[in-house]
Formats: sequence, structure tokens, C-alpha cells
Amino acid sequence: MSAILEVTDLRKSYAGVHALDGVSFAVEAGSVTGLIGPNGSGKSTAIDCISGFQKRDGGRVVLAGNDISGRPAHHIARAGLMRTFQTVRIYERLSLRDNLAIATQQFDPATWVDEFFRTRRYRLAVDAAETRARQLVELIGLQRYYEVETGILSYGQKKLVALAAALMPHPRIVVLDEPVAGVNPSRIREIEVALAQLNRAGETFLIVEHNVEFITNLCHRVIVLDQGRKLAEGSAHDIHHDPRVLEAYLGMTPEMAEAEMRGAA
Amino acid sequence: MTIDAVYLVQLTLNGIALGLLYALIAVGLSLIFGVMEIINFAHGEFLMLGAYAMTFALPVLGLLYWPALAVAIVAIMLFGFMVYEVLLIRLKPEEFERSILVTLGLSIIVIHLMQYLLTATPRMVDTQFGFEGVEIGSIRITWTRIIGAASALAAFAGLYLVLRYTQFGRAMRAIAQNREAALMVGIRPRVVARNAVVLAAGLCGLAGAAIAPIQLVTPYMGQYLIFKAFALVIIGGLGNIPGAIVAALGLGLVESWIGGFFEIVWQEAAVFVIMIAVLFVRPDGLFKRGGMRVG
Amino acid sequence: MKLAIALAAALALGALPLLTSSNYIVGVGVSALIFTVAAAALNLVYGFTGLLSFAQLAFWGIGGYTSALTVVTFGGTFWWGLVWAALINAAVALVVGYPTLRTNRHAFVIVTLTFALLATLVARDWVSLTRGPLGIPNLPPPTAFGHRFGTTGQFYWIAWAFSVAMLAFLYALCSSRIGRTLVAIKQNEPLVRAQGISPMPYKLAAFAIGAAVTGAAGGVFSFHLGIVDPTFLDFYYMQTFLIIVIIGGTGSFWGVVVAGMALSALPEVLRFSADLRMIIYGVILVIAVFVMPSGIAGWLRERRVAEMREALARVSSTPGADMGGPLRGALK
Repeated sequence: MSAILEVTDLRKSYAGVHALDGVSFAVEAGSVTGLIGPNGSGKSTAIDCISGFQKRDGGRVVLAGNDISGRPAHHIARAGLMRTFQTVRIYERLSLRDNLAIATQQFDPATWVDEFFRTRRYRLAVDAAETRARQLVELIGLQRYYEVETGILSYGQKKLVALAAALMPHPRIVVLDEPVAGVNPSRIREIEVALAQLNRAGETFLIVEHNVEFITNLCHRVIVLDQGRKLAEGSAHDIHHDPRVLEAYLGMTPEMAEAEMRGAA
Repeated sequence: MTIDAVYLVQLTLNGIALGLLYALIAVGLSLIFGVMEIINFAHGEFLMLGAYAMTFALPVLGLLYWPALAVAIVAIMLFGFMVYEVLLIRLKPEEFERSILVTLGLSIIVIHLMQYLLTATPRMVDTQFGFEGVEIGSIRITWTRIIGAASALAAFAGLYLVLRYTQFGRAMRAIAQNREAALMVGIRPRVVARNAVVLAAGLCGLAGAAIAPIQLVTPYMGQYLIFKAFALVIIGGLGNIPGAIVAALGLGLVESWIGGFFEIVWQEAAVFVIMIAVLFVRPDGLFKRGGMRVG
Repeated sequence: MKLAIALAAALALGALPLLTSSNYIVGVGVSALIFTVAAAALNLVYGFTGLLSFAQLAFWGIGGYTSALTVVTFGGTFWWGLVWAALINAAVALVVGYPTLRTNRHAFVIVTLTFALLATLVARDWVSLTRGPLGIPNLPPPTAFGHRFGTTGQFYWIAWAFSVAMLAFLYALCSSRIGRTLVAIKQNEPLVRAQGISPMPYKLAAFAIGAAVTGAAGGVFSFHLGIVDPTFLDFYYMQTFLIIVIIGGTGSFWGVVVAGMALSALPEVLRFSADLRMIIYGVILVIAVFVMPSGIAGWLRERRVAEMREALARVSSTPGADMGGPLRGALK
């Protein structure tokens, strides 16, 4: 497997503080990779810089061989990197159908002229998107809500919608920013299962999360950040027992940490 | 064209006086924006009402300047208090467009109410000083202008002290700089917002009262000045008080000099042209927005 | 369904000059039609795209002056006047819009407001172009195919045809995918960017189209008045357009159209005093912002959504009913 996303020496500072101090890692195609770290370690900043929502101060980001470093957010999305947001972002006043349709419209060949005159090219594109949307909706189990305004859904359901939207345009990689933060525990398992299923079908994920159990269940590889630097990298099991990680997170011995993590999830 | 030095000095003095007037208005606007993140469309009406208050207070108080000024300022501050409690308190910081519409509505109501009750006939009022003034060489300045300028300076000095040294002032600066942090520390946004509005109203009221003896008082007088104040606040950086003052003084001088040599239309257009030019180069204003850095 | 009603209403309105002999009422009809078009354009920019643009007033005024000048100074026809009004305003909108849309929303509002004010100043002071405070009087009635539309009734049909055409165009735009993208930009711009869409071209296009339509409307109105002068840029017009959009419902095409027709008749009912009428406008504006922020259309919509929410809650209260799809088994 080759790396679908390569981040090299990523740097970002605010007012003299190094939020990212030369972070490098790679995400293998077809994997689920976790990005964890204590608060302030730079995880969210890394995601924002990679996806074009913040300007980086240095470093390179390469997606499937294309250099996307420093490009605007919409360019990066078009190149195949889709992301979700920590505080869920969907079009609350639009239906689930519209939400999913918008997520893929930039990727079809219809132009403004096609859209205004509802040409054949436009209608074909809409039909194709509709087919894909229905597939994804069934996967996340929200068929009943297809025509309904997404604003009335629960928070966990909204996160599922955001996930489905990110998948609509067949992205090369989906970057999830805290996909289960603030979600009802019963829902978390649902999201976990959905992601595992999608990964088996070939999707690549980079997941930023605090929920250690979630990460452990899902991720093949985990990258740990601390104070803007990469602290460790390896399988979930390796990370659990890495003394540097435990110290950074909790300042504890492995046994204390184990107990702590089970309780915290 | 030989430029008469005396003429230039006269223009400069006029420019400073004008700049101080603009500054009083712009600072109030900036204050309200810094604390509430809304633009008060009805700000010009504070000035207009201050001017009208002065025209009523002066005759009643025997043309005595200082008591009338005090009455006018207090009256407008009370009005500002009411405006906040009845209307502005219902606005949340994210509702920027709503705040514009609400204050626009308020502005319409106030202007037309005044026009309905008092007609658009301009009012003129006299003070105890009449037209007497000071003569320096061949330059003449009336007392009313001098006192007006001095009051403005005193107000700014007072504002500086308040922002720097009082709890209330610090609270305002805290909210302007970082709303969430301020809230976490226990600062009550409503109290601070109300006080900011009252303070801003007072500054505007002072401006209105100060110019009442100098020019004609009509219901639309505030409307006209407020648009310039908006531009000044943008140029100086939204929420940035020193920036607003600098921009205001600069504009006063620029307008005065232009008005002294060129046609009126350029004088009027100057501020807007400058604003657009500034925004082109620095979309956040000449000085950084927010922060209300005082010293 | 809505379209059928709209078509019927349009035809009925077209018959107005045949139903009454009062020039006054027909004149009110002309105003109602044109104001509705201007409000619909504002709705495109503010209601759909979320840009509170006071520049509409400037475009209205530039349109009025452009068409008047085309006929009076440059010897063109009324129709060319409208074309130029639309084109020049679109160009101005692109030039002004490009830097302004890149600033934050606070600056955008103020710059558009300033622009409107500048337009007023130019109208009043650039005497060589606009004839200053006296304005350009005696605008001749439009002619077409040799026929002169001299009476109010005849002009009404021009206004009617114009309005129907403009509203049809705006409807096609707002109900298309382009319109939906504008709505998405208004609701959640970061998400739009994360989905590969650049908001800038959309905002610029909406701004320019809104300017062109408003300018053309201004062009028609100036010929209705027969004169264009600096009072054409009175803030009163902007306030009227705004109130129509707010009461009809930002982002609701039909809401604004209905409100436009209804509210334009209102000033004529409230004819007692210009000041009192404005005070009522102000009060309506303030109350509407607090009580009905999304207008009447929005209020109706909220009710429907609430009903839907309740219906779904009732269904979901049966255990296990909410878990659909392939995940069902996986959760055991």
C-alpha cells in the first residue's frame, strides 16, 4: 500500500507559540489512521492546515502525489480530501437529500448554464448523485429522514449526515475532526461500526479523536502528538504501552493509565 | 497660488475642531461595536437629540452654557439607557444584520417623530457667550467653538481614565478583546453593554450639544454625520478607540484643507474615497480591529 | 401548483387598466410591480446569499439616471436605456463587489451603505453629468413598433411585462441549483468551502445580477415618474425594499413577491402624513426583526417544521424504530 497523504515538517505558530513544530506523518491508502494527543498538542491545527482552513507557516502536504500545500480549502477538497468539523457542520435548514446533493455537486460536469436551463447533462448528474446518496443514507440508517430538514435530527444523527456528505464525492481520504465528540454513547458504537464498514469497502480515514477506546477499536495506526511535535507512532496496542505517550497524556505508569483509559471512554 | 499662512492656520484649527467632533461620534460607535459587536445605525440620532436638548435647555436656563450642556448630556444618556433596555438588550452578538435593521428602524422612528412633532424648520439657539470670541492676530475663534473643543478633549481624557483605571473600563476592554474569556471570568455582558451604550450616547449628546450653538439644528443633522462616522470606524478598525480618534482627527483636517481649496463635492466624498482605498489595502482597517488598547 | 397560482395572478394583474379608469390606482399598480422587482433582487442578494447590501439603492439610482440620460442626452430609446441600466450596474457591481466581498461582513454592510451615499452625492453635485438638484425632467414616454405608450394605463403594461419577465428570470435562478448553492453559502460558508465550492464567484454573480435587475427597475420607474433627480436616491426607497423583504421572508421567493404587492399598496392607504407613514415603517421593521425574523414565509415554514418534528417524535417513540439500515444487527 502506498501513502495517500504525506505530511512533511508541518509548522504553525501563533503569537510566538509553536502550535505545530515540524510534524511529519503519512496515511496509507485504505487504512484508518488515528491522530491523538492531549489538549493543545496541535491535532486540530494540523487538520486545519492540511485541509486549507488555516495558513501554515511551513511544511509540505502531498495528496496522492499532488502537492496541496497552502492551497485554498476548496481546492484541497476538489483534489480529493474531504473533512468534517469538530462542531458538526451541515445545512440545517435543508433536507438530507439536499445536504448530500450539495456535497457532490462541485464534482459533476454541470456548469451554471446547465444548472439554470436544467439541461440533460445537469439532470444526468443529479440522478447519479441521487443514486449514491441513497446508498449512503441506507448505510447510516437515516432513510426515513431523506426529505426532512436535517436541523431536527439529533446531534449524533447530524454527525452521521456530515460523514455521509463527506463520502459523497468518492474522496481519496476523509479527515474526521472528533467524529464522536459530544455524541450520545449509544450512538458512538453506531458511528464506529459505520466507519469500519466503510473502511472494509475501501475508504481511507484520518481520525482526530480524544476517545481512546474509539481509536483503539478502529485504527490500524495511531500517531500521537504532544506540544506540536510527533511523540510516537505505531499500532494502537504499541501506543497504549508507550511510556512517553502515557507520561504526556497522564503522567502515570502503564497500569494506572490503562485503568484510567477504560474509565474515561 | 500663494498660500496664506494665516488662512492655513485657520483651516487647521477648523480641521481640529471638526476632527474632535467626528471623534466624539466615532469613539461611541467603536465602543458599542467593541462591546456588543453591533453597529448602531441610530447613533446619529443621539447627536441630533443632544442638539435639540440643548436648544430647549438653553432658553430655560437663561442661556447659561454649562448647566444646559450638563442637562443635555444627562438627557441623552437616559435615552441611551432606555434604548438599550428596550431594544438592544434583545440582540445577540452574532446577529449583526439584525442589529443593523433594528437600529435602522429606531433611527427612522426617531427622525420622523422629531420631524412630526417639531417640523423640519431649523432651530437656532444662543448662549451666554453670544458671538464673542478670541482673536489671535487675524484669526478669530468664537468661545462656543473653543469650549466645544475643550469639552471634547475633556471627555476623551475622562474616557481614557475610565477605560484604564476603573473596573468598568477594564471590563469593557476585556469583552472587546476576548468575549468568551471575559464571560468566563465573570464579567456580566449586559451590564457592560448597557454602560457602554450610555457612555457612547453621552459622548454623542455632548457632540450634539456642543454644535447646537454653532450650526442649524434639524432632524436630519445626525444622519448626515453618521455615515462619515461609519467610514471612520472602518478606517480606524472596528472596535479600536485610538484608531477611531486618529482617523477622525485626520479626516477633520483633510476635509478642512480640501474644503479650503477645492469644491465642496470633493470634501464630502473624501472620507468615502479614503475608506475604500484603505479597505483595498488593509481589509481590517488601518489599525488592528478590536482590543481597545489604551496605553 | 404555486406556479399555476402565480400565472393566474399575473394575468389578473395584467388586466388592471381594463378594470379601473382611475389613473391613480393604475399608478399605484406600476409602483407595486416595480418595487416588487427591486425587492426580489434585494432578496436574491440578502435573503438568499446573506449579503445585506445597501448598495441596491445606488444601483436603483444609477439605473434611473442611466436610462434617462440614454434617452435625453444620447438619443437612444427607452429600451436601450434599460439595457444600459442593467449592463452598467452589473459592471459597477463587479468592480465594487470584488474588493468589498473579500472584507468581513461588517465592512461589507458599511461599504455598500457608503456607496449608496456616494451615489447620492454624485447625483447632486456632479452637475455636468446629472444636471444636479434640478435633475432631468420631461422624460418622454416609451415607444415600440411605432406605438407611443403615453398614458398611465399604457405604461402600466410596459411595467407589467417588465416585472413578469424579471420575476420569471429571478424565479428560475432562485429555484435552480445555483439558488440552492447561494442558500448553502448563507447558511454555512465554511462547509461550502470544505465541499470544494468557492463562494466568491457565487457572491459576485448574485451581487451583479441583483444590481442589474435593480438598475433596470430604476430605469423603468424613472420614466414612470417622468423625471429623475437626486430624490430618486432617497433612503426611503431602500427602506421600502428592505421592509418588503423582511416581512415577506428573507430567502422566500414567493413571500417577497406577495409582500411586495401588498405593501406597495399600503402607503397609499396610509396617506395621512409622510412622517407618520415612515414612523410606522420603522416600528414595523423593529417589530418584524424581533417577532418574525424570517418574515411571514419563515413563520409558516417554522410551523411546518415543528409539525414534522412532532410527527417524527411520535413514530420514534416505539422502541427500536429508529435504528435502520445494516447497522441494526451490528449493535447486538
